[in-house]
Amino acid sequence: MSQVLKTDAITMQFGGLTAVDSLSLEINQNDLIGIIGPNGAGKTTAFNMITGHYLPTKGNVFLNNEKINGVRPAVITQKGIARTFQNIRLFKDLTVLDNIRIAAHSRCEYGFFDSIFRTKKFKDYERKIEEEAISLLSIFKMQGYSDHLAKNLPYGMQRRLEIARAMATKPSLLLLDEPAAGMNPNETIELTKLIRWIRDEFKLAILLIEHDMRLVMEVCEKIYVLDYGKTIAVGTPSEIQNNPKVIEAYLGSEGVENE
Amino acid sequence: MDYFLYLTQMCGIFMILAMGLNLINGLCGQFSLGHAGFWAVGAYTGAAFSVFTNLPLPGFIILLIACLLGFITAAIAGLIIGIPCLRLRGDYLAIATLGFGEIIRIIFMNMDSVGGPRGFTDIPKLSNLFWVYFFVVLSIIFCANLIRGGYGRAIISIREDEIAAESMGIQTFKYKTLAFCIGAGMAGLAGVLFAHTTQFISPNNFTFMWSVIILLMIILGGLGSISGAIIGAVILTLLPELLRLLGPTVSEWRMVIYSVLLILLMLAKPTGILGKKEITFSFGKKEKA
Ligand SMILES: Nc1ncnc2c1ncn2[C@@H]1O[C@H](COP(=O)(O)OP(=O)(O)O)[C@@H](O)[C@H]1O
Ligand SMILES: [Mg+2]
Repeated sequence: MSQVLKTDAITMQFGGLTAVDSLSLEINQNDLIGIIGPNGAGKTTAFNMITGHYLPTKGNVFLNNEKINGVRPAVITQKGIARTFQNIRLFKDLTVLDNIRIAAHSRCEYGFFDSIFRTKKFKDYERKIEEEAISLLSIFKMQGYSDHLAKNLPYGMQRRLEIARAMATKPSLLLLDEPAAGMNPNETIELTKLIRWIRDEFKLAILLIEHDMRLVMEVCEKIYVLDYGKTIAVGTPSEIQNNPKVIEAYLGSEGVENE
Repeated sequence: MDYFLYLTQMCGIFMILAMGLNLINGLCGQFSLGHAGFWAVGAYTGAAFSVFTNLPLPGFIILLIACLLGFITAAIAGLIIGIPCLRLRGDYLAIATLGFGEIIRIIFMNMDSVGGPRGFTDIPKLSNLFWVYFFVVLSIIFCANLIRGGYGRAIISIREDEIAAESMGIQTFKYKTLAFCIGAGMAGLAGVLFAHTTQFISPNNFTFMWSVIILLMIILGGLGSISGAIIGAVILTLLPELLRLLGPTVSEWRMVIYSVLLILLMLAKPTGILGKKEITFSFGKKEKA
């Protein structure tokens, strides 16, 4: 399996606070990997370093063996990393279709003046993009919603649209930041299936931050556990479930004593 | 009758100014208060071209060349100012662009070759109703086609959520600069038409107050709406003339009346007259808002 992402002991400091301390991840093609940890453990910060929103204080990020720290987020996305956000960040006042089309724009084949003069090249490519967007929407069970405004969708569907939008950038690595946050149990079960299905269908790697333990344990093949920025455990779901350090981080030391 | 003709032309000139600022502020979400500066760049460039070169060409060709030059120089001024300023956000961007707008005005104030504080006189009257509205129509088509394509959508995504746009592979700085330059260029174009309509321009025509009034036009019409910018431009061009009819005291209270009007509008309809909607003449599909 070829390696997609590697982080080489990345560290992020905010003033005196070390939000992420020497995190080393390795993700291969087709992997489905989870990052868990209590609130404030540094999970989102790790995503922000990988996607170029933060420049790591120390360490390097490699995408397909190419060093990408210091590269702008948009360029990193073009190179193949797409993400969703912990707090949904859709283009709320735009239609579902436009949300998807914007994510496809970086692959745009016509020039600025083609769009002003509405040339044949422009029209053909726009039609192609629209068809692609609509088939992507039907994959995500959102057919018929193309011209709804994103903000008017029900919550679970907004989460799904955000994943669909990330997929429209055609990534080789998909980062999902707490995709099940705020979902009801039924929606979470659906989402679990969807995540696995995306990985199999699109043959990409997925890195997932999640609070919902059941989801992570069920869907991930390998889990990294962060606590106060430090990687306290790495392993398969069953290894992680029985790791005393993890139990302590989640339940506090009394939790361990009670067991 | 001349007076009405003049007012109709001024409406058109402000429509172009408002559409330009709408591109920067309404569509791309970048709060610029330097629009009058770009207007001045275009006006002075165009006037200098037609006055100093004195080419033996028909008037309208000189006007068209002046318009092209005015657009390009103002767009370049937009590039020079945009590159440092567009790294700033919100209020900081507004203050920086305001400062640059005033700097441009003061540069012209100190350029004796174009009249300095006395103003630039004897500009040939090359513009007329036809050419003003020719460029109004061109601007409308340009803006409408822009927002119906990928480049326009990329610009709009920045207004919606800059971080998300960047994460979706939109190089936000590039598109902000693009919107800023085109908007500035359109102000420059309006400047050329203005100079060749009034035949006299002075640095006092391009004060910061005008940047605010153009901003009011697009807020009044509905930020992000092309038709809104046009309606706002007409209202705020004609309103002071109506107030003038009511006597000099009313006219002096112009800005107060604007403010009250704006406050009332914001209370009644915070998104402006049209919101983000467009008035379209197609019967086919209706745009959802
Ligand atoms: N931009 C920032 N500036 C300062 N501190 C930050 C910043 N981003 C995150 N932090 C801090 O870093 C720590 C980790 O945050 P985060 O990565 O969001 O945690 P989580 O694991 O819950 O996603 C927290 O203490 C947070 O307050
Ligand atoms: Mg987080």
